[in-house]
Amino acid sequence: MSVFALEFPPVTQLFEWPDIAFTDTALALNKTSLIYLVSMLLTVATFGLAARKRALVPSGVQHVAEGGVNFVEQNIVMQTIGPEGRRFMPFLTTLFFFIFYVNIFEVIPFIQFPGNSRMAVPLLLALVVWVIYNYVGVRSQGLGGYLKNSLFPPGVPKLLYVIVAPIELFSTFLIRPLSLAIRLWANMMAGHLLLVTFAVLSAALWGFGYVPGLLPFFMLVLLTAFEIFVSALQAFIFTILTAVYIGGSLHPEH
Amino acid sequence: MRSPNPPRRGLLARSRRYVLAGATVLAAGLWFGASPVAAAGESVGTCVLEKYNEHTYGGQTGSYAVKAAKADKEFGSTAAEENIVELEGKLEGCLESPNPILPETTEIIWGGIAFAVLLGLMQWKLFPAVKRSMDRRAEKIRGDLDAAETARTEALEVKASYEAELADARAEASRIIDAARADAEGVRADLIARAEAEAAELRQRSDLDVEAAKRQALSDLQSEVSAIVIGAAETVIGRNLDHDTQVQLIESYIDDVGSRN
Repeated sequence: MSVFALEFPPVTQLFEWPDIAFTDTALALNKTSLIYLVSMLLTVATFGLAARKRALVPSGVQHVAEGGVNFVEQNIVMQTIGPEGRRFMPFLTTLFFFIFYVNIFEVIPFIQFPGNSRMAVPLLLALVVWVIYNYVGVRSQGLGGYLKNSLFPPGVPKLLYVIVAPIELFSTFLIRPLSLAIRLWANMMAGHLLLVTFAVLSAALWGFGYVPGLLPFFMLVLLTAFEIFVSALQAFIFTILTAVYIGGSLHPEH
Repeated sequence: MRSPNPPRRGLLARSRRYVLAGATVLAAGLWFGASPVAAAGESVGTCVLEKYNEHTYGGQTGSYAVKAAKADKEFGSTAAEENIVELEGKLEGCLESPNPILPETTEIIWGGIAFAVLLGLMQWKLFPAVKRSMDRRAEKIRGDLDAAETARTEALEVKASYEAELADARAEASRIIDAARADAEGVRADLIARAEAEAAELRQRSDLDVEAAKRQALSDLQSEVSAIVIGAAETVIGRNLDHDTQVQLIESYIDDVGSRN
């Protein structure tokens, strides 16, 4: 695609990858699927190695795993659910690390593609979260209680329920999973587009000399650093919102 | 030499090699098989070529079909024209971007498999292992802190006890010193008293001696003077006085002299 005489690759090239194994089957493997699998293995390796090290003063991979667990416990679970949220720690920690690793491939040289800029995993995880927080709500409050507390939040004047109940119905049962999925997907897709844009600009303007090429290149470097931050931030946001939804299902009064 | 207690090789330890090998293979696949260069393979050109080669017209495929359709179109064939429009539509389809929000089924399947396996492993083994290790360390640190606190309390108690004993010892020493000082003072006072008594006695004795010596000296002197005076008187007056008169005369003189002194 040519934009202002720049050769900008079509979206098919930026987000869609050819199958590299099991072509034309339901298990066709492409770059995005490989990123999902590598991210899974990276999380397994992180925790597997951390569990083996058991040093008194953690360092390296043990520090990463234990720091992550501590972060999820202190900054997510205790802040949103409280002590009883500790039973969701394995799920929330898995969510955080898996999303982060899938995201961080955005800045890994030669791979440079965030798996979450494809809708598959964000949507899948959002659906898993939807099932879990609804299950937790029904389990802790009973079906009637959960629906009542979800649709008719306590503390709202009765007349307002006419407006609030449909809004809550949409927001809790439909918008929540969609917003969760779209927030992650859109952030990562936008980040990838930004990096590609400045990479293309750098390459194109390099032909006009170093000086015009340097500005987009510096922007590219800055944005790469920013994308590392965004990768962690989006993993954190997805996880903390999940914890907030689970906390809301456990304690409707909050 | 083998350690008497070799480390337990659990499932995690055994599977580590496989996990690392799997990660390496997948990373290599990502690096080489799914690089941007490979993505370019599915670019517009590939799509166009694919559609072009798959195109059929009048029992022919690919470039033959296109040539035949173009030839028939020149002769005004509507079917050939529609066939070419259909091909153009397919080729334009290659330029259309897919809806990026729609997920790919295969990616959902692989993503689902990856997350499900990961969640299972994390719930079953990995998370509890790391958490256990963290809890054990926290427990150890807590235990060490408690032990340190106990040791500190004990040390403080021992210190207090030592200080009390030291204070007692100091008090005892002070008492002993005071007693010794009192004893010494008593001894000193006693010695002084005795010395003073002895000195007084000596003084008294010497006074008596002096008095006696004085008396003796006076007596001797008196006798001597008497003899001298008598001799002198005898010489002067040239007559002898009887003895009693002499004595009386001398004594009266002496008394007279003594009273003047």
